[in-house]
Amino acid sequence: MSGQLIINGIVNASLIAPPAIAFSLLFGILRFPNFAIGAYVTVGAFIAYALNVGAGMPMWVAGLGAMAGTAVVVWLSDVLVFKPMRGHTPVTLLVVSIALALIIEHVIRLFYGADVRGFDLPLERPIKFAGLRITGEQIDIIVMTIVIGIAIHLLLQYTRIGKAMRATADNETLAEVRGINTSYVIAFTWFICGALFGLTGVFAGLDLVIEPLVGWYLTIPIFAAAILGGIGSPYGAMLGALLVGLAEELTVLVLPSSYKIGVGFVIIAVLLLIRPHGLLGQPEIKK
Amino acid sequence: MSAYLISMATFVGFFMILALALNLQWGMTGMVNFGIAGFYALGAYTSGLLSVKLGWPVGITIAMSCVTGLIAGGLVALLSMRLREDYLAIVTLGFGEIVRLIALNEDQITEGPRGLKIDARPFADMFDRETYPLVYLGLVAAAVAVVFVIVECIRRSPMGRTLRAIREDDVVAEVLGKNVLRHRVQVFALGGAFMGLAGALYAHYVQNISPEVFMPMVAIFIWMSVIVGGAGNNWGLLLGAGVVMTILEGSRFMGDFIDFLDAEQLSAIRIIVIGVLLIAILRVRPRGLIPEPKFSFATSTTQQERQPSTENAK
Amino acid sequence: MAEDLLEAENVCVGYGRGDIVHGVDVSVSAGRIATIIGPNGAGKSTMIKTIAGVLTRREGSIRIDGREIGGKPASEIARCGVAYVPQEANVFRQLTVTENLQMGSWIEPKEFDDRYEKVCALFPILKERAKVRAGNLSGGQRQMVAFGMALMVEPKVLLLDEPSAGLSPAMVEQMFDIIKQVNKTGIAVLMVEQNAMQALKISDHGYVMAAGQVAMSAPASELLDSSEVSELYLGTRQ
Repeated sequence: MSGQLIINGIVNASLIAPPAIAFSLLFGILRFPNFAIGAYVTVGAFIAYALNVGAGMPMWVAGLGAMAGTAVVVWLSDVLVFKPMRGHTPVTLLVVSIALALIIEHVIRLFYGADVRGFDLPLERPIKFAGLRITGEQIDIIVMTIVIGIAIHLLLQYTRIGKAMRATADNETLAEVRGINTSYVIAFTWFICGALFGLTGVFAGLDLVIEPLVGWYLTIPIFAAAILGGIGSPYGAMLGALLVGLAEELTVLVLPSSYKIGVGFVIIAVLLLIRPHGLLGQPEIKK
Repeated sequence: MSAYLISMATFVGFFMILALALNLQWGMTGMVNFGIAGFYALGAYTSGLLSVKLGWPVGITIAMSCVTGLIAGGLVALLSMRLREDYLAIVTLGFGEIVRLIALNEDQITEGPRGLKIDARPFADMFDRETYPLVYLGLVAAAVAVVFVIVECIRRSPMGRTLRAIREDDVVAEVLGKNVLRHRVQVFALGGAFMGLAGALYAHYVQNISPEVFMPMVAIFIWMSVIVGGAGNNWGLLLGAGVVMTILEGSRFMGDFIDFLDAEQLSAIRIIVIGVLLIAILRVRPRGLIPEPKFSFATSTTQQERQPSTENAK
Repeated sequence: MAEDLLEAENVCVGYGRGDIVHGVDVSVSAGRIATIIGPNGAGKSTMIKTIAGVLTRREGSIRIDGREIGGKPASEIARCGVAYVPQEANVFRQLTVTENLQMGSWIEPKEFDDRYEKVCALFPILKERAKVRAGNLSGGQRQMVAFGMALMVEPKVLLLDEPSAGLSPAMVEQMFDIIKQVNKTGIAVLMVEQNAMQALKISDHGYVMAAGQVAMSAPASELLDSSEVSELYLGTRQ
């Protein structure tokens, strides 16, 4: 029983990790929690659905299309909404991001209604061993998340643009002064994050269902993972995702599974009380 | 039609109380609350359950709703005293969702998604069915008036000045010797009590409460009301609550003219309109349509006004 | 005076309604050191930030080698040969020392190896602490990272905002020595300093700013001799 829960937890963590990394990267630039991330994930799920079921494309093409499409939508949300408002207070931006989330969710409802959908995929038998079950799709999700985690690490640590991303998130003014075209770096960051949200939408469609609120249900676990890992720290976000993913599944042992979405909140609340800067995060000097 | 207008006005009243409470917490003190739906639900279920399960008189159950709101508000504020405002947003949102989850899942007590039926209504036996909605509207209006007077008195009092100091910069307020924590907890608790009151009034009005009403979206409507009206400005947000409700409800009539959209699409369009308006207002007038009147001390050097000349750095 | 390397003319800058800097002229010729001194709130930092492009001038002209840079974003100004070291938040705290220096040579990445050796010769500690995150360094070491980063390009002009702020007296001495050394390689320096006496001693020219305007502009030695200046800024400030 609990072995199965650990497998479920790892799958869950693989779903949360990419958007938690993206959320962390964005936070470095935006300095406020962007509540629209769930809506971005939903966009990814529906683009993949439209390409896979609507246009009959193979799943991997639909997945790449969803990443590209979501990256554009996410980048546009910066150009149209957030960029013109940079410098407003974090609370104003936070309200704006919630409003944006509502707009995106309801635009999707306008076209697709509230029905629950799934990709057009052949049904596969789950793989069973020692009484545990895991589907092929779940294995794909885990493997791809690990690959993404390593790729983001290499990008941030060893490439020129990756270092510029870190520098810009760290101190935008100084980055600009050193000759880095920060608006280009920021746009690039939005694209990368958009692709990660799009990919998460595909994962959510594979492992959960496709519906207008699918991303919203992931928002809080994503926040929890990012805060747990120390907001603004992509590596922490990966660790945070693992802990939140496992915690969500293991609570089933003590609470009805319908309380699962409350777990993220409880983790956030407890964590903020004992370590306001997250597990790996560093204290930020309040200006 | 007039019955419809009375009902709409009653709902505007609930919104006004919630908006006044949020204005106290956020507009005047700078404390973010995205768990409005949670306090609203807590009030509704407290009064509803005490009246249904224990048969307490309505007056007392409504008072108890204020008390639970007060306690919950105080606890949330105490828990999050060290948090930055954006973290407080997450914690309060979480509070709201957990209240909703409990209402949804503990169905032996709350009846869960089936909805809790509440028979008791204040003064119900003194009036006939025709005039009662008007009486209830009067009751809600009286509640709005009381809350308004309290909030407005606080705003004009020395405490209001302290609260604004906390909002602008709590470090400065602390240095000035104002007990920031105590004030924050007091204000958040009082706001919670008002939201509980609104919930109780709502519960006995609709007489059937279910968790799906208390989605986080409620918070957005109230934020919208406060922002439209101008944060910190109590008169403005009464107008704001009216405007938001009119957009929400008024667009129902669009259905008569636009017949190629179904009800669900229309409701989606309503929310999209609200969202776009909210962003547009925040972008053009970040201090609301009717900004807070200026006070003698430094409110003029807020971040937004300092912004223009540093744009080049961004 | 002939055509100067850096010329700022009639520069006005402000936050919100009022201007902080009203019509200031400042210039530095190639290979020289100029210092702006003055009381707090005189607009010294605002002026230097404006030249660097961190703030945008409302009016006036700023030229490098006769080329207008006023109104350009800071990243372009950096490419025109201006290296600016802010007073605060002047390192990337989350990046290692070496990564900070890499950011310093962002616009000329091919020169990294060569410049790295030169900068480390000036500040040997940067090599010792290469892999340490800049945020974990002491204040003085951080100042060296900031300075070193600016020298990773070979700028025409170095803009320094309070280079000695927060340093111990011995380190202040060392910092001014290094500024002098850097200047000897042909780099012009414009700095804002509270340590007026020491700064003027190594400077060729000095400006006294007060209330957003240049109150005095004279060769540094004259300012050092001026009884008015020493009474107002030199005697009281040490």
